[in-house]
Amino acid sequence: MSPAARRGRSRDKVLAGPLDGDLDAFERKIPHLSNALSRRIDADPDSVQQGLAQLVLTIVELLRQLMERQALRRIDGGGLSDEQVENLGRTFMELDRAMEELRGHFGLEPEDLNLDLGPLGRLL
Amino acid sequence: MIELLAITDDRAAPPPPLRIVPAGPVAVVVGPVPEGEVDAEAMWARESLLEDLMEDRPLLPIRFGTRVEDDAAAAEAVAPRGEELVAALERVRGAVELSVRAVDRGGADAAAVDDIHARLAAHAREYARHDGPEALRSAYLVDRAAIDGFVAAVRELQHEHPGLSILCTGPWPPYSFTEPR
Repeated sequence: MSPAARRGRSRDKVLAGPLDGDLDAFERKIPHLSNALSRRIDADPDSVQQGLAQLVLTIVELLRQLMERQALRRIDGGGLSDEQVENLGRTFMELDRAMEELRGHFGLEPEDLNLDLGPLGRLL
Repeated sequence: MIELLAITDDRAAPPPPLRIVPAGPVAVVVGPVPEGEVDAEAMWARESLLEDLMEDRPLLPIRFGTRVEDDAAAAEAVAPRGEELVAALERVRGAVELSVRAVDRGGADAAAVDDIHARLAAHAREYARHDGPEALRSAYLVDRAAIDGFVAAVRELQHEHPGLSILCTGPWPPYSFTEPR
């Protein structure tokens, strides 16, 4: 169906409209789709590196959060010695600092490390 | 895979490629999974199938993109809710959904919007007011015989309230009146 035919089709459904026939005020966008599309990586050579870094760091951040949660569960479970807990804590502090440095290097804010999954919401 | 389009209780054969699959006391209208991208055209194509079907039978539209493996799976998914769906079909039998949206063009107050809604609701079997960016966004379940009166009321209200732009569209399948109350 061509865009013109589609507009015709939408107009066919109008049973009563405003006196001046102006329907622009009723135009609606589909928010999920437009948000999801705007999060695509920009193919501009200058920003493609940042886009890729954003994607990779998002995945790393997801793994980091999952590992942290898993570690907390094991600490709560009481199956770890004091020394192991201490080591885990230091590892996660190091990881956190490393992520911060990488973000700084690519000029990304913490909130940039996320993916919009459209109707499913956000990844992190 | 097959796509589920609607629940109905009229088992007359729909125009091909649609088919009827009996499911307990009701039946499912199924069709081939559409090819190509999910876009506005695909939505309109489906809408047009549903509108042709609703000409001669009551129907409950099924959510866009609902797919199952085969006829047996379709019947299995629907039949356990047969009694509930029989009641849901009675609720919409002989009626269509009309949509009304009103946009404030300066100088409209909440009382005017409530007045519009109340006077339209008087022509309807049921209504559902939705949240939205407009001053009024609501759906009305209207008997086929009452459509003309409803539309005339919209025109009258538009003249009475020049501060609002009122748009009435339809007739639609009863999208807003298929969930249990």
